[in-house]
Amino acid sequence: MSSHVLQEQASAEKTWEPRIVAYCCNWCSYAGADLAGTSRIQYPTNARIIRVNCTGRISPEFILAALDLGADGVLVSGCHPGDCHYTSGNLKLRARWALMEKAIEQAGVDPRRVRLQWASASEAQIFADGVRTLIDQVKKLGPIAREWR
Amino acid sequence: MTGTEEPRIGVFVCHCGHNIAGTVDVAKVAQTAAGLPNVVFATDEMFMCSDNGQQLIREKIKEHRLNRVVVASCSPRMHEPTFRRVCEEAGLNRYLFEQVNLREHVSWCHMREPEAATAKAIDLVRMSVARAARLETLPVKTVQVTPRTLVVGGGIAGITASLDIADRGFEVVLVERQPRLGGNLINWTHLFPTDETGAEVLEPLINRVRNHDKIKIFTDAEVVAFDGYIGNFQATVRETKTGRESHHDVGAVIVTTGFQSFKPHGYYGYKITPDILTLAELQEMPRSKELRRPSDGQLVKKLAFIGCVGSREPGVKGHEHCSRHCCSAVAKAAADLRARTEEVVILYQDVRTYGKGHEEFHRLARSRRVIYSKFPERDKPKVTLEDGRITIRWHDVLADEDLILQPDMLVLASAMVPPDTADEVAKLFSLTRSSDGFFNPEHIKLAPLTTHTAGIMIAGAAQAAKNAHEAAIDASGAAAKAVGLMARGEVEIESTVAHVNPDLCSSCHTCVTACPYHAISMDTSRTPEVALVTEAKCHGCGTCAAGCPSGAIMMRHSTTDQILAMVEAYLCPPPAAQEVRAQ
Ligand SMILES: Cc1cc2nc3c(=O)[nH]c(=O)nc-3n(C[C@H](O)[C@H](O)[C@H](O)COP(=O)(O)OP(=O)(O)OC[C@H]3O[C@@H](n4cnc5c(N)ncnc54)[C@H](O)[C@@H]3O)c2cc1C
Ligand code: SF4
Ligand code: SF4
Ligand code: SF4
Repeated sequence: MSSHVLQEQASAEKTWEPRIVAYCCNWCSYAGADLAGTSRIQYPTNARIIRVNCTGRISPEFILAALDLGADGVLVSGCHPGDCHYTSGNLKLRARWALMEKAIEQAGVDPRRVRLQWASASEAQIFADGVRTLIDQVKKLGPIAREWR
Repeated sequence: MTGTEEPRIGVFVCHCGHNIAGTVDVAKVAQTAAGLPNVVFATDEMFMCSDNGQQLIREKIKEHRLNRVVVASCSPRMHEPTFRRVCEEAGLNRYLFEQVNLREHVSWCHMREPEAATAKAIDLVRMSVARAARLETLPVKTVQVTPRTLVVGGGIAGITASLDIADRGFEVVLVERQPRLGGNLINWTHLFPTDETGAEVLEPLINRVRNHDKIKIFTDAEVVAFDGYIGNFQATVRETKTGRESHHDVGAVIVTTGFQSFKPHGYYGYKITPDILTLAELQEMPRSKELRRPSDGQLVKKLAFIGCVGSREPGVKGHEHCSRHCCSAVAKAAADLRARTEEVVILYQDVRTYGKGHEEFHRLARSRRVIYSKFPERDKPKVTLEDGRITIRWHDVLADEDLILQPDMLVLASAMVPPDTADEVAKLFSLTRSSDGFFNPEHIKLAPLTTHTAGIMIAGAAQAAKNAHEAAIDASGAAAKAVGLMARGEVEIESTVAHVNPDLCSSCHTCVTACPYHAISMDTSRTPEVALVTEAKCHGCGTCAAGCPSGAIMMRHSTTDQILAMVEAYLCPPPAAQEVRAQ
């Protein structure tokens, strides 16, 4: 490794910014994030959104894999219960969620690193606030490597 | 190009004028993209969706034998169909296209952080390139369209849509839950912008509907079951009185279930005396030469109206919107009733008589000496009963004076809210609702009449507070959509469905119960039995795939591999991604 790269890593250490994987359903939260943009609502840059059709698509594997690969936090954002574009996919996710939190805890990860939120296509502010909340929470917990692996 | 050969990815980064390039260093994004694995071409361009941008994609596909295309621009909810079409025009399967959202998700929401925004843009492009490398060609499938449309709701929107479709020679099944057609409008006696009653406007139309041999009407009836997919829906209609059920195959649906007028309990003394009533209740009173108050039949000498009742209330869910008909309807009713009374006063927050011909009623009302008085948004009028008399106290903003009025009758212009049936209707047809509770269109500007469920349209007040003129325009538009679909006779359906690998399935039935659309059944012709997806019924939600304990279900175009490739590309960037290689 060149000294240049080492230097960069050192400075990256100082200004550590959490890396957040955000799984959003196409119909509510992805659209809510679109509206946040259209409305010029400003929120932190840390989250990278991955679009899935429905939160029902999100298996625990997706969340565990992200944490395993070094994400400092994972956001799952979908339609409100009752409003799922596919009628009930989000309810299936919600049913899995409690189990998943346990699994995360058992793997030695603080469950506060994952956040499940409901934000409809019109709730741009709720979406943006949720992203901010998770980032603030994760910043308090520090980089994931501290307690992981 | 089948999508199985070595990926050759082209990346096109859009400036969107200043929209993206004003914040994100698009040239740097394109240069970084050029260094990513499998990327053989990368560039930035002013407007990717313009003719020039589209032409560029087609040219570069040919020139560089691209077999995957990534466009980093606006939301895919906006232009994915555009770019998919462009790819197809150049001979590339539509499912080999991938879009990155640099505008809504980056430049517009991180306007003050250009560096961090550029870093995010680079990450997102890298993620999409990784996914693109794993995209697969999927067949473009078409299905037949049953040439019959179901119209749900028999107000002016439903009636207009039915007639438009039937006049084009296609069959209509019109379902209205009330005993008669006509919806809300048929009740109104003071109608703007014409000088007729609702009944006078609607009755000729209703007669035409009744006598049309292409229209089958069910009144006092509801749709109780609904299944299928675009072009091939099955609806069950139950007639409330007899309980008789009938089944109908339809190719398209138009939902025109309208609104109901809000009963403003708790506002301005509504119902503390029968003489405080809503505008809808006033309009429903039989037409007569005199205006008499409901409580004791005395002539009304002083009449007052209050506007924005249950509308335009920031922070109150379902009541934040402007109901858009009331200012004009109040002006019309006040102008009409002025001659029958001694004094008419309208207390308003704002006057929004925006439609064609509406301002004229506002002016007419004023010219007939109807008094308009503006009250402050944060200090609404107080209504009490004093010695049995309605007493209104308010602050007039323009005169900066506190005023008192004791009218004989007070009319509240209450909000348009979704009907009681909106919940059921939303579930039945898988519609989504906006925060005001009305049904969402697919896209507010680009697709205002279609919904997220292919083949299902919305029109009229079912979509938002509207006047009848707008409802009728919608209805004709939605009818044109339905006719277009039926006239074509066939329609493309998404191939992004679930697929069970029978060798991995452990016959646990988890997916059968998980699927919201009953699209999975067990194939009992095999031993042991295995899960089988009826593709035409599958909506592609992926709930089954996430639930399957054996990992037997693959979601086409949303495979686990494709999704995790994005995660990995974000968190563990390939070494090459750190260098910048020139184009
Ligand atoms: C007080 C008042 C005054 C107004 N005055 C005017 C005016 O002067 N000029 C003007 O242009 N506009 C006026 N409007 C607005 C006008 O009433 C609406 O724009 C118009 O009624 C909208 O028509 P629609 O067909 O979309 O909905 P609606 O008229 O609401 O019709 C919807 C129909 O669907 C039926 N329905 C609902 N749910 C179901 C279901 N689940 N299954 C089957 N059927 C169902 C309902 O019973 C109803 O018949 C006024 C509104 C109000 C409240
Ligand atoms: S139309 Fe007029 S009265 Fe009705 S909510 Fe809008 S501003 Fe208020
Ligand atoms: S959930 Fe998976 S293993 Fe179980 S029946 Fe369905 S496909 Fe087979
Ligand atoms: S993807 Fe959704 S709709 Fe399709 S079979 Fe699976 S659960 Fe059913």
